[in-house]
Amino acid sequence: MQTSTMIDAMRPPSPAEPGAGVYSNKLGMWVFLASDVMFFTALIGSYIILRFGMTDAWAAPGAVLNVPLTGINTFLLICSSVSMVKAYAAIADGKKYFLRPVLGKTLRDGGLKFWLLVTILCGAAFVGVQVYEYIKLVEHGFTPAGYREGSQLAEHALADPIKYGAQTGAMFGSTFFTMTGFHGFHVTCGVIAMSYLYVTKVLPEKYSPQDYRGIETIGLYWHFVDLVWIILFTIVYLI
Amino acid sequence: MATTAHVRPNYIMIWLYLFVLTVVEVLAAFLSGIPKQWLILILIFLAVWKALLVALYFMHLKFEPWRLRLIFLVPLPLAVILVVTTIMEKL
Amino acid sequence: MTSVAPAKPDAHGGGAHHAPMSFWQKYIFSTDHKIIGIQFLFVSLFFLLLGGLLAMQIRWQVGFPGKPMPGGGILPESMVVNGVILPEYYIQLVTMHGTFMVFFAIMPLLVGVYANFLIPLKLGAHDMAFPRINMWSFWLALLAGLIMLAGFFVPEGTSRAGWTMYAPLSARPDLSGATVGQMLWCVSIVVLGLSSVMGSVNYITTIINHRAPGMTWFRMPLSVWALFVTAILAVLALPVLQGAAIMLLFDQTIGTHFFDPVAGGQALLWQHLFWFFGHPEVYILILPAMGMVSDIIANGSRKPIFGYHSMVFAIIGIAFLGWLVWGHHMFMSGMNPTLGSTFMVSTLLIAVPSAIKVFNWMGTMWRGNLRFHVPMLNAVAFVSMFTIGGLSGIFMAATPVDIPIHDTYFIVAHLHYVLFGGSLFALFAAIPFWYPKMFGRMMDERLGKIHFWLTFVTYNLVFFPMHMIGMGGQMRRLYDPTIYDFLKPQQPLNEFITISAFALFAVQLIFAFNFLWSLKKGKKAPQNPWDDNGLEWSLPNPAPHGNWAPQTPNVYRGPYEFSSPEAGDADFLPQTKKLPTDRDPVPAPLPTGGH
Repeated sequence: MQTSTMIDAMRPPSPAEPGAGVYSNKLGMWVFLASDVMFFTALIGSYIILRFGMTDAWAAPGAVLNVPLTGINTFLLICSSVSMVKAYAAIADGKKYFLRPVLGKTLRDGGLKFWLLVTILCGAAFVGVQVYEYIKLVEHGFTPAGYREGSQLAEHALADPIKYGAQTGAMFGSTFFTMTGFHGFHVTCGVIAMSYLYVTKVLPEKYSPQDYRGIETIGLYWHFVDLVWIILFTIVYLI
Repeated sequence: MATTAHVRPNYIMIWLYLFVLTVVEVLAAFLSGIPKQWLILILIFLAVWKALLVALYFMHLKFEPWRLRLIFLVPLPLAVILVVTTIMEKL
Repeated sequence: MTSVAPAKPDAHGGGAHHAPMSFWQKYIFSTDHKIIGIQFLFVSLFFLLLGGLLAMQIRWQVGFPGKPMPGGGILPESMVVNGVILPEYYIQLVTMHGTFMVFFAIMPLLVGVYANFLIPLKLGAHDMAFPRINMWSFWLALLAGLIMLAGFFVPEGTSRAGWTMYAPLSARPDLSGATVGQMLWCVSIVVLGLSSVMGSVNYITTIINHRAPGMTWFRMPLSVWALFVTAILAVLALPVLQGAAIMLLFDQTIGTHFFDPVAGGQALLWQHLFWFFGHPEVYILILPAMGMVSDIIANGSRKPIFGYHSMVFAIIGIAFLGWLVWGHHMFMSGMNPTLGSTFMVSTLLIAVPSAIKVFNWMGTMWRGNLRFHVPMLNAVAFVSMFTIGGLSGIFMAATPVDIPIHDTYFIVAHLHYVLFGGSLFALFAAIPFWYPKMFGRMMDERLGKIHFWLTFVTYNLVFFPMHMIGMGGQMRRLYDPTIYDFLKPQQPLNEFITISAFALFAVQLIFAFNFLWSLKKGKKAPQNPWDDNGLEWSLPNPAPHGNWAPQTPNVYRGPYEFSSPEAGDADFLPQTKKLPTDRDPVPAPLPTGGH
């Protein structure tokens, strides 16, 4: 029998055989992300399969969707990923400086509170822009069921069926809203989770360089969400 | 526990890479010169490059034990098999 | 470490490092993996009973079409008119029987119960890696089951597209007649998928990171190997089904057209997505059974498992190949014949690792000091019945042969031989085997033997003739075979099957009685009633909260050291028993905590 006397957050709670070489929260999150890859495979894979199977033209990039706005939104999400990794580096390294060349200020947690707040705000802004985009699209006539009859978009499609993909509008609507909608759902869940951690663990300074598992774990999720968007933005908006 | 000293990647550099790649992508999509097939390949290549940057550096896969990288790699061939087989089936 | 209450594991045994817990914390919202496993057990057995009741109604209609069903009067007019089952209700019965049995009975019984209960115990861990997520996994599974059940109580009843939910029938209420019920199916599946994924993340992490010192990968029991590989299958396959179910739900509710050919969708897309999940799913339904049967057969033969390493590689091989065979469910869909051939080859290949396992079970029993206790009887029946199911599978794997037998009762016979003859017999073995660990008492051996023999006979009387009527051309999910002249000569066989089915169901009451009665009145169990080597038997019965906490057992050998010369007089040698020649295992160095 062995008795565990030391509490070290970064190892299994009791003596154990060599495992993955990383602590359990991180391992569990990676396994979950593998499952999320399969979930997006079903949605994105279906989009690829359906679009490939279309004999008629699909709408040209930028004809229906607002690429410049979404490009900025993409950049916003990438920035939130950077701030997330800065937050992680701040608490993992336990460095006591924060934007030294600029502000010369020292913070106890190396800037975790600041960087995580930036991440949450950028994430929330991303969702906000997407919601705005959805509203504008539906107003214009682009719905999950396709181009709404009598709408501006339907008129454009009649005038130029190739550029607007008049025959494939129903599939475009179905796939677009489902993929981006579920991605947005993932982003929202991430924002909620980070906010919860922020209030319950980050503000009371429960994380330290000895135990920052929650930050790294939620960071992995957040980067994954960014990664999926990088793929989605390219294949939905640009192709 | 943070006793292992090692080089932390320069996150700001990666951020710059990602910014540049995104701009290149958007520009490429609207340059009407490139034939569609090539354009798709280029865009996917750029997207995968960006995704790899995020995975390897932000998610630290480059520095993790190989078993962890395996976990992330496993679903990818499955995804490819599903999509390719279903497309082929219609051909 | 003594336990006080005999019927349920209590909080006071073993390193009690918690404050005393209330009834709600201890038994209802418990994070203890053993309690969660037991919760899954009770809920899943209920759904198994429900699935059986649905089957009885199906059999009544097929055996005696148009005749009023005894007790039919209690069902509403939308389902049963003058005691006669309506076609609209019949197709709901068929759909829900499959759905409940696959998703809410067999899968949770094999995985929800035994992955939860056995993994930490067999690895020497105190609990799962994420106990609270584990608790959520159970409550989500229960919620999903209730959502599915609600389908019977909504207008137009449940979904009517078969458990495989093919589009466009499932996507269009105007085609199937099911409205809310269909949506409930989709929602229920998404919730269940979440529960499954959460559970699987737990199982995988626990097995990788929380094995006790000395429990190397190749000292893990086959039940744990099987559950590990099953969890990997689940974590990768369920999300695909969730995605498909969401797309189906959107087709019905917000007007998308994923599966609607008129608007550019593809009905076959559903089949590809569903079976890409569905085939790994059937391996999820059989691998844990195979793993547990391996443990029980080694125990009952008093011999090590024959070919332990090949058993492990066979499990991995089956799981790996299982991703590449899904098209064999779609041979009749009009697919590209070249693709069909590829699926035929991969499906035939997958018979090889399964056959390796069957030969190894036989090799284990060969010249063993056989003890035919109830778990052993059921485990041996598993091997023979699963083999029959596997053999009929070879027929279907060959595409040309599948052409006439697809969607007939031949397929129904096959799937019931592997799911009932396989998985359910394995459960009839596993439940009494680990019952003492769960409840501190033994199930009655005599009732167990009576139940086994009667089940074995009636089960074969029900499902074997289905091969014949399937070959004779009777289609699946058929409401009334007698409307076809070519099926009329087989109707006496249908009646025979129905009567046997009623007998089979009635016999299960013996099991139900045994299970419930033994909870309070069963013989008090000794610590190691089966003389087994697993780590779980080094704990008292029922196992205490925290298992070995605050200590961790050391593991000195593999799990199948039966009849070992080193054991001296005993014919078993537990994994944790230290012999003078053994050295203590060294725990792993600290893992790196991120960079």
